[in-house]
Amino acid sequence: MDKNVIIEHVNEVMVEGFELNTDQLHPDAKIVDDLELDSLDAIDMLVYLEEKINIKVDPEKFRTVKTLGDVYNVVEEVVIEAGKTR
Amino acid sequence: MTQKKVYITGMGLISSLGNDVETVFRNLKENVSGVRSMPEWQKYKGLNTNLMAPAMNYDISCIPRKKRRSMSPMAEMGAIATLRAMKQAGLDEENPWKDINPQKSVMIMGSTTGSPGALESHFQKLFENEGPEGQTSTAFFKIMNHSVPANVALATGFQGPLLSTGSACSTSSQAMIQAWEMIQSELYDFAIVGGADEAFYTSAAIFDTVQAASTKYNDDPNSSPRPFDINRDGLVISEGAGVVIMESEESINKRNAKPIAEFSGGAYCCDGQHMSQPIPESMAYTMNWALNRAGVNHLDIEYINAHATATVLGDRQEAQAIATVFGKRPPVSSLKGHFGHSLAACGTIEAICSIEMMKADLMIANRNLVTIDPECESIFTLQHNKEGRFNTILSNNFAFGGMNTSFVLKNCE
Repeated sequence: MDKNVIIEHVNEVMVEGFELNTDQLHPDAKIVDDLELDSLDAIDMLVYLEEKINIKVDPEKFRTVKTLGDVYNVVEEVVIEAGKTR
Repeated sequence: MTQKKVYITGMGLISSLGNDVETVFRNLKENVSGVRSMPEWQKYKGLNTNLMAPAMNYDISCIPRKKRRSMSPMAEMGAIATLRAMKQAGLDEENPWKDINPQKSVMIMGSTTGSPGALESHFQKLFENEGPEGQTSTAFFKIMNHSVPANVALATGFQGPLLSTGSACSTSSQAMIQAWEMIQSELYDFAIVGGADEAFYTSAAIFDTVQAASTKYNDDPNSSPRPFDINRDGLVISEGAGVVIMESEESINKRNAKPIAEFSGGAYCCDGQHMSQPIPESMAYTMNWALNRAGVNHLDIEYINAHATATVLGDRQEAQAIATVFGKRPPVSSLKGHFGHSLAACGTIEAICSIEMMKADLMIANRNLVTIDPECESIFTLQHNKEGRFNTILSNNFAFGGMNTSFVLKNCE
């Protein structure tokens, strides 16, 4: 799974799960301030991401996430660890 | 003791016959049925009823995502009905609570259970995943007992005492009577009151299991339910929400609000005898108690809105109880033949419709009442809409658990 596919999956989660517009979804977008996601959304984001990439995600990895770009990076890391890279 | 007067100043609903009072009443006048066949239910083993009266489509986009994400359909319907009732009551749309004292206002609302659809999804995932893995953060907020009022409070920004009534089919009538009691006793002077429920096959199955659901009209949905008819065979579940704003005279004067009808009083009483079989003596006792608390005589009642869900036993027992208190004098009709049975919502929805009947000088007849059951002939069941002025009505709602509720409404015009 290359980075572009990961970005596509994460963005789909943002649109489908949190009703965000695609034009809001740039790597610098701050999760709390720009995308207005809160603690409940953060839990659901992990659930939706796990369903989307079919990999169990450790919530600890998301503790330091601040921007959407951080989310892309953490998901990429998770995918690599799971040995699903092409 | 001098009675404090309690008024209804706002009404909102979502139902199988429409999502605004005007549309609903027009459909009632035209004898429209909200019942549909549910062929998709045939896959459920052991479910014999394939009838349901779904709510009309509604638009929930007026509520922002963060206030909507914890809502099941019943909470959505409750929220929309509440916003409409608040609007009619003249509350400011931008800042509705600016003239309301939070320590003198209460929200009393409920549902039969938490969302049955969300409950099924929750446990389905729980069993599939052999544990809580994969549950969303909002799942519980849709299935907790006070899901409807808590979500309505969130949607409306209501800050104040919140009570969740949950007595199945008497939920919202009990809520109204409790609000009346609290305003009477000067605990509060403003109340947001109602009930909501969503129709799901598991709810139908509950009545199917106790042989109280209609099963003979699966291919002829508009012919069921049939309150008081000899060929009735049970109820049809529906869904929706009914919400009213109730206020003291002082609150109305202070806000310059307009009363729509007077909630004159009511009573709720558990018979403590049987979980599912209605007891006529207990029903009659509750009706008499309601009359007494409302300060009216049985002769003052000009119309009775019956609970009558079209179960064989329930209608007969209610007819017997009404006959004991009122004889064969006042016209009686149930609206379940039009709406189906909206469970926790039916008390307020039927109160709203009864108020509209008084305003329109028109009593709505029982739908599908072709041949009156001889066992129900001791009362005057309406077979045709009846025109004429009337200003005082009694409404009944009964529920599993031996719950009996009756209340009196008066026209304000």
